[in-house]
Amino acid sequence: MNNYSDAVEKIVESYMDRLKTRLRPVPARERDEFLQEIRSHIYESYLQVAGNTESDDVTRILEVLGKLGEPSEVVADRLSEAMMNSGTRRKFPLHIVAGVLIALFGIPLGFGGVAVLAGVLVALTGIVLSFYATMAVVFLAGTLLLVLGLTRIYEPAVWDKLLTYGVVQMDGPVAALFGQLTPLGQGVLMLILAGVFVICGLAMLWLGKFLTRGLRFLFTLVLDWIRKLATRVRHQVFPKEREILQFDKAPGF
Amino acid sequence: MRYTEDGRDNRVVQLRKGIIELAVMAVLYRDRHYGYSLVRVLTEDGTISLKEGTIYPILARLDRDGLVRSEWVESDQGPPRKYYALSPAGRRLFSQLSEELDLLVSLVKNDWAASESPDTSGKKLLIRKR
Repeated sequence: MNNYSDAVEKIVESYMDRLKTRLRPVPARERDEFLQEIRSHIYESYLQVAGNTESDDVTRILEVLGKLGEPSEVVADRLSEAMMNSGTRRKFPLHIVAGVLIALFGIPLGFGGVAVLAGVLVALTGIVLSFYATMAVVFLAGTLLLVLGLTRIYEPAVWDKLLTYGVVQMDGPVAALFGQLTPLGQGVLMLILAGVFVICGLAMLWLGKFLTRGLRFLFTLVLDWIRKLATRVRHQVFPKEREILQFDKAPGF
Repeated sequence: MRYTEDGRDNRVVQLRKGIIELAVMAVLYRDRHYGYSLVRVLTEDGTISLKEGTIYPILARLDRDGLVRSEWVESDQGPPRKYYALSPAGRRLFSQLSEELDLLVSLVKNDWAASESPDTSGKKLLIRKR
């Protein structure tokens, strides 16, 4: 496909890797196509330069990449767009929620909006944290039931002691249900419950991935927006200052 | 706060951004091109030095807005090339934009002529801003 030497190949691949890193937020299909296009460009440009000069191949490829520009320049202003697009593309509710939040609170309300937004972010962070706490509790309950179930089946004596000393307490319908079961049945029931708890815990862990991803995305959006706001404010504040300074310094004015 | 070299560069970049997009459309109005050949056409007379990579975000934007059509074409040497041409919507928009540009250019040129007039206060301001 191409006729790069090893050294040139390495330089090109390193460049493509850096580009790829920068393009991480862009949807995969779009990103691959973009990378393919840049690869083609590098190849064409390299052929051209190779025809023109007699310098060695490493100098040539460096010239090609120099003309192409740093990865940051090549991907300039694509990233924020891609982030906004990914909200609809991935069909993940939190992304859309983020867009709605920004639309509702962020843009029209100025600093008041920032306060509201900060509150919402803290609340969401709280939700995520409590989500993980719940998950930990579910896991713990699962493990405990597992231990108890095994104890019931293999160490009935220990189980009886646990009951006697009140470590394990049962009453009401649970006790009635347990009373009808054989010791083995009781153990198996506890093991099944343990399994359910552990599966729930795992499911929550898996869901948490989306939750944290959404939250991270939200933070990125907000930070991006705050940066833009800061730039705008600076632009509004500094021109005046500049004028004042210059009038003060201007001789004979 | 003083006006700096950075400030100037920033303004040049701002100015170029829109114009280069228009130049890209102009080239694609006449012919279809892939990225590298487009860069060659834009830079061939040497008046403008362009970081070649910057045209790809422009192309992607035009593509997203439906102003260009693109297709991959196998190349007899090396990797396939992605060709671009203006879509009908792109052609219409280009005509409008280039009229707009003519107006703006004439505005700028006229202003230059006006600054030759003996309006000294205006001149002072210009000098002070450096």
